[in-house]
Formats: sequence, structure tokens, C-alpha cells
Amino acid sequence: MDQNAVEVAGLTKAFGGVRAVEKVSMKVPVGQRRALIGPNGAGKTTLFNCITGTFFPTSGKIFLFGKDVTRLAEHRRTAMGIGRTYQITNVFHDLTVLENLILAVQGNSRQKWVMHRPVSAFSGSLKRAGKELDRVGLTDRTHDSVQHLSYGERRQLELALALASRPRVLFLDEPCSGLSPGERQRIAEIIREFPQDITVILIEHDMSIALGLADQVAVLHRGSIILEGTPDEVRANPEVREVYLGKV
Amino acid sequence: MVLRKWPLLFCAVAAALFAPLYLGPFWLSLLMQILIFGLLALSVELLLGHIGLFSVCQAAFFAVSAYTVAILQVKYGQPTIVAVPAGLGAAIILSLIYGIAVRTSGVYFILVTIALGHVFWGISWTWVSFTNGEGGITNVPAPAVGSLTITSHSSYYYIVLAVVALCVVGYRTLTRSPFGLTLRGIRESESRMRGLGYNIAAHKYTAFVLAGTLSGIAGLLYIYFNRFVSPANAEFFLSIEVALMVLVGGTGTILGPFIGSAIMLGLRNYVSAYIDQWMIVMGLIFIITMLWTPDGVLGVIRRLGVWGRTSHNQPGHRTPTPEEGK
Repeated sequence: MDQNAVEVAGLTKAFGGVRAVEKVSMKVPVGQRRALIGPNGAGKTTLFNCITGTFFPTSGKIFLFGKDVTRLAEHRRTAMGIGRTYQITNVFHDLTVLENLILAVQGNSRQKWVMHRPVSAFSGSLKRAGKELDRVGLTDRTHDSVQHLSYGERRQLELALALASRPRVLFLDEPCSGLSPGERQRIAEIIREFPQDITVILIEHDMSIALGLADQVAVLHRGSIILEGTPDEVRANPEVREVYLGKV
Repeated sequence: MVLRKWPLLFCAVAAALFAPLYLGPFWLSLLMQILIFGLLALSVELLLGHIGLFSVCQAAFFAVSAYTVAILQVKYGQPTIVAVPAGLGAAIILSLIYGIAVRTSGVYFILVTIALGHVFWGISWTWVSFTNGEGGITNVPAPAVGSLTITSHSSYYYIVLAVVALCVVGYRTLTRSPFGLTLRGIRESESRMRGLGYNIAAHKYTAFVLAGTLSGIAGLLYIYFNRFVSPANAEFFLSIEVALMVLVGGTGTILGPFIGSAIMLGLRNYVSAYIDQWMIVMGLIFIITMLWTPDGVLGVIRRLGVWGRTSHNQPGHRTPTPEEGK
């Protein structure tokens, strides 16, 4: 593929005097699995939020599939094919699992404006919702309220919501955070089975999962990218060991 | 649950249809007020129960349609057939303007809607040459279409009942639709909704205008019931009272606002006979509700296990699934 799914050029985001992200440039080709690693406070989530449109960068440019989206509203970027999950589980607690999925499915269609027909009349979106639930293994929870889901199941739902909007680029913000080793493997398995044409950009603290899933890794430290390379190159790099894994 | 619900609904419909036969004029008039203010409370419920926006200016939309009808009929001698659409149009236009309030959220939304409501009240109070100021507009004629004039309270009751029933059916359809689900999604997590491709502001604005329209319909029913409108109908106090109806009855349901309306208006009639300060009693009800029954009367009933879950918290074709172990 010659096209980049995501391109970031000289991106800076400052909160008051703190530069959370400073002059970051990065290109992610279509279909790549890219891991973003770095210690706490390195600016990974801020970089995500700038690219997905949660807030606008202080300076620099963002391109999605070659189109400049630096000043585009978040919901419009979603319509262009961005999907994301959140570090802190962000699902609809008072709704059922199925309703959560329907909201994700209809997000990019005109269906969200329909007022005169019940949700249950849209068999197409119900079917798609069911398929996404199947993919993350939540089919038996379809009609349960999210309140009754375990933390691990909510992380699975988080993934299902992002997938249900049929993204072309998926931003996963620590999908395994707070999970037991067994549950982590399960989430990693789900991510590995994503269709190959979906570009995945992943923040993950669990090194074995991050390096196991990624084709390319970018290491962030104090708001800047200090290294980009394959998982093996990253593992071997002494500087990364120092800032990320700690001095030996 | 379905089997238990239908006979109840049937009894309620029968009781409502034959009400003028067994209710005296006082009770029939109270019942009409309960329906009209219940409808106004339902407009609060659309915003509060679905998007989580606490609007304190619904009285403005209620009053603008009532005033429009009164002024057109009394001052300009226009017939009902002109006054009613104009009144509804006025409510829609005012809510399109006041809709800017949705750009704020939380406490700021409450404050902005208080201010917007007050602006309309201020106009109705001070523009004496147009609105008669404090005196209000009296002697609004009975609604008439051609040669048919609806003078008796019992025949007007059927109009109120029919309009409220239509609005309730429409409301139920709306809340079960993808649009209704979208509103509940916004209540749960705005950031996630944006991330899923929703233009939050557009949905909030649309819901606000729909709620304003519903308030305007309640105002239309009110003006031909009361035949008199004054700045009291646009007051902050009325907006608070209808919001309280929703809280007392229980949010998240269609029945709640009407039950709240019945409780509040029933109490007001009863209490006013003994003490002058109805406001004190209302304040106490507010505090008691917030402290001990934040989900209202229906919430208490549901907790006692008499009722099942509310209908519109679940998708229409729900089949119960047993909780299976993983």
C-alpha cells in the first residue's frame, strides 16, 4: 500500500505551559499494526486525542488517508473511518449490551435521525450488532444491562463498540489495562483476528502484548518520538530499555 | 408483564372516556389540568429523562403559545383555525431561538434556561400595550371551527384527552426509535457518542425544539381551558413546578410526569384549603423527593416489585434471556 492511513506532521499539543506532545511526526501505512509505547505521561493518549479529534492540536497537521483533518470535528473524523476505544472504559452503563452496539452501528448512518420507527424494526443493524458481539464473545450477554457486566466484559464491549462503527483505522487506548493475564490474552486474540485491511494503532503497557501484536513500534518519551522500528529493534535498543523498562 | 398491563390500560382508557359522566365539574376541571400540566411535564421529561438536560424554561413555550392564541383571538378577532397553528408556530420559533442553550451543559444549562425563561416572562409583564402586562388577557372565546363551538367543559375534556393521548403515543414512538436511543446514549456518555460519529449538539438541539413544541401544545390546550393567560403562566415558578412533577412521578417513564402532575395538583388543591403557603409545601415535597425517593413514586412502586422495568429502557422486541455462566 502506498497510502498512509494516518499521517501526523510536527504535531504539538500544549496544556497551558506543559507540552504533552511536542513536534511529533509519524506515518502509519494502511493495514499496519502500530504500537505506541512509552512511560506514563509520555503523551500517548494526548496524541490519540489529537488524531481522533477529541481536541485540536496547538500546532502541526493531521492527515487521514491523505486528507487534512486538523480542524475537523470529531464526529466527522469518525465518519471518515476512525474508531477508538478508551483507556478508562467508556460505554453506556444504563443501556443493554445490544443497545450499546446499536448506537455504535447507527452512528455513521442516517438511521440515528429516524424518529417514527422502533429500533427493533431495523433488522440490518440488529444483525450487525449481533455479529460484532459474536466477534468479541459477548453473545450471551446481549440483553443484559451493562451495569451487570464484569470489568473484563466491559473491556470486550469497548472493543465491540469501536469495531461496530466499521472503522478503517482503529485507535486502541490500553485495551488490556486492569485485566488479568488470562483476560489480556483473550483481548490480544480478538485484536489479532481483526480484518487485515483495518489499520490498528495501539497504546499498551503490557510489552509482550504490544510487541507481539505490532508490525511497527513507536516509542514516546516526554512528548516526543525517540524511536521507530520493528518490535525486535525496539527490544534491542538500549535507550528504550533505559527510559521505558528502567535502568538495568 | 404484558398480560398484567393490558387490563390495566383498558380500565384506564375506559375510566378516562367516561370521566365526564361520573365526575363533577370540579373534579373534571382538575383532571383536565392534570392532563395539560402532565403534558407540559412530559416535555421536561424528554430532556431530563433522556438527555439528562434539566430545562427550567418550559413555561416560556407553554405561555408563548397561550399568549399568541389569546392575543390573536381577543385583540385581532382571528378564528381558532388561525390562532392555534400560529400559537404552535410561536412555540416552535421560540424553541428554535432558545435552543442555543444546548451549547452549555450541566449547571450552566440550568442557569441559561432560567435566564431565557425569565426573558419571556419579563416581556409578558412589561410590554403592557401588547400583553396587558400583569392583568393578562381575559375573555378568550371558546374554541370554534366554523359553526361548531365547544363551550361545555365536558366536550372540551374529550379534545384535551385526544390531544394528550396522541402526544403520548407520539412520545412513546419517539423514545423507542433510533433517535430516542441516541438521546439516551448522549445522557450516558457524550464523549463516546462523539467518538461513534454523532453530532451531539444537533441531536440535543432537535430534542430541545421537540420538547418546546410539546410545551406549546400544552399551552394551546391550557388557553382554551382557562380562557385567560397572565405572566403567571410564564413564571420560573411554573417551570420548577412541572420539573418537580417529573421528579415526584419518576423519570424515565411516560406515566411518571402524569402521576407527578396528579399528585402536585391534587395536593395543591387540598393544601390550599388549609394554608396559604403552597410554596412551602412544594419545597418540602421537593426535599423529601430528592432525599428519599430520587426515582419518584414509580420508582418506589417498582422497587416494591409491583411493576416490571419501564418499557422504553429496553429495545422493543426483547426476549428474556437467562443469565448463562461463561
